[in-house]
Amino acid sequence: MRAIRTTFQTATVAVVLAAASGLATAEERGVTDTTIKIGNIGPFTGKAAIFNPLNYGSVAYMRYVNDLGGVYGRKFEIVLGDTACAEAKGIAAAKKMVHDEKVFMITVNPCSGVAMAAKPTFLQEGMIWSGVSANPKITGSVGSGGDGPPPEYMFHVTPNGYFSGVTMGKFIMTKPGAKKIALVAHTNDWARGYCDPAKDYIESQGGEVVLDTAMERGSTDATAQVLRIKSEGVDGVLGCLYQPELVVLLRDAHKYQLGAPVIGALGADFGQVVQQVGNPDAVNGVFFQGHLYKDKIGAPALEWAKQILLKYLTPDELPNEGDPTHFYYFGMMNGVGVVEGFRRAGRDLTRESYMAAIESMRSFDNNISAGSVTITDDQHVGISDMYFNGLDENGDEVIFTAYGQPLH
Amino acid sequence: MLSLLPQLLVSGIAIGMLYALIGLSMTILYRATTVVNFGHGDLVMAGAYMVLIFTIHVSLPFIPALLLSLAALFGFGYLLHRAFIWPIIAGPHLSLAMMAIAIGYAVRGLVRLEYGSEMAKMPRPFEEQFFFAYNTVMTLDEITFCVVVVVMLIASYFVFSKTRFGRIVQAMFQTQRGAALVGINVRLYNNLIWGVGCALGALGGVMLGLILVLDPDAGVWTLLRGFAAMTLGGFGSLYGAVIGGLIIGVLEKVLGTYVSTAFIDITCYLVIIVVLLVRPRGLFGQHATLRI
Repeated sequence: MRAIRTTFQTATVAVVLAAASGLATAEERGVTDTTIKIGNIGPFTGKAAIFNPLNYGSVAYMRYVNDLGGVYGRKFEIVLGDTACAEAKGIAAAKKMVHDEKVFMITVNPCSGVAMAAKPTFLQEGMIWSGVSANPKITGSVGSGGDGPPPEYMFHVTPNGYFSGVTMGKFIMTKPGAKKIALVAHTNDWARGYCDPAKDYIESQGGEVVLDTAMERGSTDATAQVLRIKSEGVDGVLGCLYQPELVVLLRDAHKYQLGAPVIGALGADFGQVVQQVGNPDAVNGVFFQGHLYKDKIGAPALEWAKQILLKYLTPDELPNEGDPTHFYYFGMMNGVGVVEGFRRAGRDLTRESYMAAIESMRSFDNNISAGSVTITDDQHVGISDMYFNGLDENGDEVIFTAYGQPLH
Repeated sequence: MLSLLPQLLVSGIAIGMLYALIGLSMTILYRATTVVNFGHGDLVMAGAYMVLIFTIHVSLPFIPALLLSLAALFGFGYLLHRAFIWPIIAGPHLSLAMMAIAIGYAVRGLVRLEYGSEMAKMPRPFEEQFFFAYNTVMTLDEITFCVVVVVMLIASYFVFSKTRFGRIVQAMFQTQRGAALVGINVRLYNNLIWGVGCALGALGGVMLGLILVLDPDAGVWTLLRGFAAMTLGGFGSLYGAVIGGLIIGVLEKVLGTYVSTAFIDITCYLVIIVVLLVRPRGLFGQHATLRI
């Protein structure tokens, strides 16, 4: 109830401010007296279309805010752009948003490769970007996976791969006696964005990454990886893998009786992985995955988000079967943070006032994520904490704050 | 580490059986028309998706769904050849290759329309089971692959060497014009053999669906393995495709374990490169020119 009340309080503030607002004086790109144009780009087609629920989660929240009157009387005009998760098409989509659509900002943008390829365009054009792509090189600065100051106008109101990787490392190192860890990762920027920070953290805590193995997209089995890991006698395995390959790894870990927990990255949906492995013995008490949210998907604390998704998305935008998956909530997390920036920026909206508002966020509770959002002028990645999903011996989902430590 | 070798051989042979099945289906197409179907991987995956549709959306039990899927892919292969390949059969082989690729992409696009935004899992006809012996483990899925491929290989051998249909296809492989001159309806037999090849490929897709989350793009992966098996075994050789598939399966496991896991994905490319350079006709291939 508290979560629903807080959400409605936020919404009510938005409506009141909307009613109080007069004519806007700003002539900012993508902003009129009654609208804010938002570019929402992502893989609506192509082999990574499974990630477009991230886009729709953000869309749902903005439609919800529009229904409440918008922010300071301005409603969001959302323009969808297809990147197909391909660099060339992503750059084209980004340029279209900048030059043709003249949007105020670009959001969501799953696919690290696309975000990295389009980043020079965003920087050159001063385009505000708030995305979910994991690669730490996108918005990271010293302390969040980058090696300098954060890029101007680009930020995450979600975690990036750096913090997700670090929390994977933290989780496995809380397992009593954990020392020897193995990594199984795709050979791409996305996977290294998780596994490299995890490796650094593990080694900083006195642990040892005894094996760092590759597993390519489309792999049908993980025999070589699992047998090598088993021969090393590891205490845990981090799988920086997308969903199909994570399923394969778990299946073969069980087949060859690996006997060590497997920690998955955020490129997979926990519930779907469990279902697709199809064998409780292969996942119960063995498989854990980073969990961005304050409670289980479907728990009362997140019911408000589910209701927004179901009300504001069309059947084509929702899953063919079942409830919205975690990617929708992840996208909504981005949407809530972006809208909060507009609320804080006030009526006189400019790129500068918006960025100042974003950089004013301290411990902002978005009502969805496990961690709160803090963004400063030298740290543009807002969330650094998350929980972990797992299954108990009965197969019931449990949220863990650390290895063996349930949230409830 | 040497103690892992028996397990690697068992697992390599099991996955190699899948490559063999896909290679076998490509070889059958090649035997009839001397065309390498570069869109074959997408038809393989289409077989798994057809079973998914028949089981989930039409609520059929697995076996009827499998049979309907094979029938559908047979029909698709038949019509594919009749409508798209036959009209340009006399043209340059590059055109045939491009047509096959285009059809594969079209099939992939159609699958993506419905399943592009989600990862589907094909229903299983039986529970996963494990069998342990001499420090090795084998799953019921892997045993199924082995049985299916052996049965298909025996059936193919019988059909191609002991039946009139097989002898006609052999004749067409040697010279289509000559076959036509002696009164063989080359177009009809080509249509039929494309149907058979697609159905067999679809069977490979269904086997893959037992162990994989379905992905519209997995066709590329299957095509590469099948092509590598066919190349190593020798273009046009049925048992060559099977042996080629088995060798690649074992090589992937052994190199992946003892050298680097990076080798798992590049083994098939290495095999294609080495065979084409060193022995272009493969282990058991006949002297027939591959035109693509």
